[in-house]
Parts: sequence; structure tokens; C-alpha cells
Amino acid sequence: MIFFSLDLMLKLIFAGILAGFASSTMGVFVVRLKMTSIGYCMAHAAFAGAALGMLIDNYLILASINLNINLPLIMAFLFTFLTSILLGPLSEKTKLDVNVILGFLFALMLALGFIFLSFLPSGVISSQAVSVLWGSIFGVMIEDLIALAVISALIIVFLIFFYKEFLSIMFNKKMALASGINVSLFTFIILLFNGLVITFSINIIGALLVYALIVNPASTSFQFFYDMKKIFIFAAIIGIADSVAGIFMSLFFDLPVGSSIIIVSCIVFISAVIISPKRRWKMKKQKGIDEWNNTN
Amino acid sequence: MSISPIIFLKNVDSIYEGESRPTIKDINLKIRRGEFVYIIGPNASGKTTLLETINGLVRAIRGQIRVFGLDLKKNSQKIRKNIAYMLQTWDIEPDEPFLVKDIVMMGRSGKLGTFINPRKQDWELVKDCLEIVGMLRHYKKPIGKLSGGEQQKVFLARALAQDADILMLDEPFSNLDTDSRSMVLDILRNYKQRKNATILVVSHFLSDVSFQIDFIDRIVIMQEGRIIMDGSPDEVLQSEEYICLKTNRS
Ligand SMILES: Nc1ncnc2c1ncn2[C@@H]1O[C@H](COP(=O)(O)OP(=O)(O)OP(=O)(O)O)[C@@H](O)[C@H]1O
Ligand SMILES: [Mg+2]
Repeated sequence: MIFFSLDLMLKLIFAGILAGFASSTMGVFVVRLKMTSIGYCMAHAAFAGAALGMLIDNYLILASINLNINLPLIMAFLFTFLTSILLGPLSEKTKLDVNVILGFLFALMLALGFIFLSFLPSGVISSQAVSVLWGSIFGVMIEDLIALAVISALIIVFLIFFYKEFLSIMFNKKMALASGINVSLFTFIILLFNGLVITFSINIIGALLVYALIVNPASTSFQFFYDMKKIFIFAAIIGIADSVAGIFMSLFFDLPVGSSIIIVSCIVFISAVIISPKRRWKMKKQKGIDEWNNTN
Repeated sequence: MSISPIIFLKNVDSIYEGESRPTIKDINLKIRRGEFVYIIGPNASGKTTLLETINGLVRAIRGQIRVFGLDLKKNSQKIRKNIAYMLQTWDIEPDEPFLVKDIVMMGRSGKLGTFINPRKQDWELVKDCLEIVGMLRHYKKPIGKLSGGEQQKVFLARALAQDADILMLDEPFSNLDTDSRSMVLDILRNYKQRKNATILVVSHFLSDVSFQIDFIDRIVIMQEGRIIMDGSPDEVLQSEEYICLKTNRS
């Protein structure tokens, strides 16, 4: 068990709560709209961007230029965001399936990220890079906290004001379009928030794992409810609980914080799948069909 | 009172994203306000594509389309808010996480406009529409737990809740028993009379409504992406095209 100042503890838990809330709420969109591979790709783009940012930062420091901005964060956001908005046009122009492009981009981003990291002097790698890749208790900065708080507040505001639009789009995009909703605008907003959440969560969870905190709590919530409102609320609760529990697990057992959070979220998800009333009902139905097929 | 058609298509070809050839070709169609039009034709003849060309979901690459007197290209969003479009049914997962009441309210989402959340009177309207189709008892049920026919009635309620001047229904009878079919026809008749609404119904055959043919103002027959016949029921039922369609079927 590690001991910290109360200050650091509070900062960490607060970051966990905010990251858990924001990621899992976005996760409901991502899971329902089947954007999981897009999000996965975005997270890796964030990693490449952050690595590039660190590299540039490093050269600037060598040249004694102080821009006083958080370059890794800015680059991470630029990378995720560009990935998400270029994806559609790219697949249209090349006539390739979106998933093919995603697979390609995913590998490219990971490779780029490691190349950028390899240019960094070894001392820098150990501290900053590790925090970007796997998250770290010490990686959380006050700017991350403020940003996550603002993003969370914005997500709530958007959900309140545009709930009917989001609901329509999540039910059926074509129907939503036909009833006069600006589907591409709202899809853009969802991708934008996704990029923001990923960017500001990577310091605590890490770019390679942040995606699980987006997908796992939402997938867990989908196992239990038939009503999107409940799914949103329950996903947020699970997301927060996962990250706080993960933080304590990491403190008690001296484990990496990002990995601990993700392990907790995976255990919760697996348990949910096992006890899910929805799944049991589905399996029963399938069994009925099989039996019927066998007897005929 | 304006005599200009509410739906106007002139020499329209339209094409699906990624396809090289237009799916429907050289479509000329004028529909007046308050008309009840029945569109029939075999599978893949382009009936659904025609409906989706009218609300701009499928892109027209040639010709001119005007709805409510407005150019579709420039006003698609505005036009769509006033066309209720009921999609041909698709398989809904049994664990689909949406409630009947929310789905019916979605009919109003576009029309209410941004920033306006459903108000009390909107929920009242949703209840009324579900009552009309006889599905009010499923108000709070998940959609996936309803039968195919019940789902179809819920989607009809959704279209009614939009309170639009044009209703476009794609195969609204496909899952319905005879009683339900005549119930739906009655609902459409009332809706049309109350709002002087224009109604377009797509179906494979006329048999769905043959018992109430007098209610239909006009029948359009499609084949291989073209309109091959367009006229009053009397004209169409005696036409070679219709007889041909009927014999091919049996
Ligand atoms: N999304 C799409 N992309 C490309 N082609 C399509 C698409 N949807 C339909 N088509 C093609 O367009 C043609 C017309 O299809 P459409 O759905 O309009 O037929 P339909 O008359 O409604 O048939 P059905 O009675 O089976 O509903 C078909 O050949 C079909 O293969
Ligand atoms: Mg069709």
C-alpha cells in the first residue's frame, strides 16, 4: 500500500470520477451506434499525437523555447479528432470499407506513436511516455481535472438539450434523418466529445486502455435495461464505480492505475454478462428454437 | 387555394451511394394535396427508392423535385419535418433498448425542433396515437417484446404522431391480419379527412386493400425502376400492365 498526501489522493479520485463518468456516458453512444472500432482507432491516434507532442516539446526545451502550452494534449486531441472526421470521407473516396481503413489507421497510429517515442531521450521516456501509454497516478494534472469537469458538464448539458435527437439517432439513423434531424451534425458532436474524453483521460488511464473505460461500463449497462435513460444513468454509475475501485486497487496493491481500473471494469462486465436477465432470456429463446429444430 | 402539386417530380433519376447506375429512371409524378396514392410493383421495382427520393434520402442525379412547392435540394430538412415516413419493417432485436412510448415520440423529434424537449401535450398526442392503433396498453413496453404486427402498429402511431401533411407508408400491411388491415385503412381515411393530408402507400399487390378500393384515388405501377402505369383505380385495374402484373404473380 502506498501513501500519498491527501491532496494527491483527492485529485486522483476526482479525476477518476470525472473520467469514469465522461467515458462511460460516451460509451453508451459508441456501443449503441457500433462505433467501437472508430473509438479504438481514436484512442490510438491520441497515443500517436501525444507522443509527437512530447517529441516536439522536447526539441523546444532543447532550443530553450517555452510556449507554455500542453503540447502532448493538444496533439493528442488533433490526432483523434482528425482521425474521426477524416474517416468517413476517406472510406468514401477510396471505396474501401470503413473497417479496413480503421484496421490500417490503428496499426499506423500505433507504429507512429512508438517511432515518436523512440526519438525521445531515454530519461523522458520513463516518466512522461509511460504515463501517456499506461496512465499514472502522478500523470494527472490540474488541467486534466478542469478539462474533464468542463467536458462532463458539457455532456450533461448536451444530453439534456438534445436527448430527443440523440435517442432518435441511436434507435435508427435512417428514421432520424427522415424525420428531419441533422444526423451528421449530431454524429459529429458525438465524435468530438469522444475525442475530448479520450484526450483528457489518457494521463490517468493511458492511451492504450482508455478505450476499455468507454466501452465496458456501457456494455455492462446494456445487459440490464430496455430503456435508454436507465442505460445512460447506470453506465455512468458503473463507470464511476469502476474507476474509483480501480484507483483504490492500484493504491492498495501498488499496481498501475490504468490497468487496475480496466481490470475492475472487465470483471464487472463479465459478471454482468453472467447474471444478465436479457442474455438469459435470449439463450432460453435460442434453446427453444434449437429444440424445435431438433424435433422437426 | 393553390393548384400546384404538393409532390412534383420531373424526369428524375436517382441513385444509391456507391452505385454506378440509377435505380429509378425517368420518373414523372405529380401528386395533389389530399390524394391517396397506392404504389404497387414487384420486388426490387423501385417502390421504396421512389419514396426515399421524395424525401431526399436517396439522391436524385437528374431532373427536378419539388415538395410543398419547395426545391428538395435546398430545403430537405424542412420538407422532411412535414413528411412522416414509415419504413418497410426490419428485424428488431428482442433486446432492443427502446420503449414503445419513446419510439412514438421520435415521430415528433424532428418537428419539435432543436432545443425544444417534448412537452405535456406531446406526450398526450403520443398516447392518443397509440390509442388509435390499439397499442396503448404497450405504452411502457420495450419494442422488441412486441409481435411483428404490433411493432408495425407502433410505427404507424409514430408516423401519425409526426402530424405531417404527407404520410408515406412502406408496406404498412405486411404483418397485419385482415381486421388490422381494415383498421389501418380506417385510420388513414380519418387522418386524410381531418388534415386534408396526402397519403402514399407502397405495397406489392392490391389485394391488401381490394376490399376497400373505392378509398384509393390513384394507383401507380412500378417495374424495373420505372413508372409503367399511373391512373385512377378504374383505369389501372383494366390496364394491360395491371393484368400482366397479376398474372405474373399467380
Ligand atoms: N442501399 C442500396 N444500395 C444499392 N442498391 C439498393 C439499395 N437499396 C435498394 N437497392 C436496389 O434498388 C433496387 C430497388 O429497390 P427498392 O428497395 O426500391 O425495391 P422495392 O420495390 O421497394 O422492393 P420490395 O418490394 O422488395 O421492397 C433493387 O434492385 C435493390 O437491389
Ligand atoms: Mg421496398
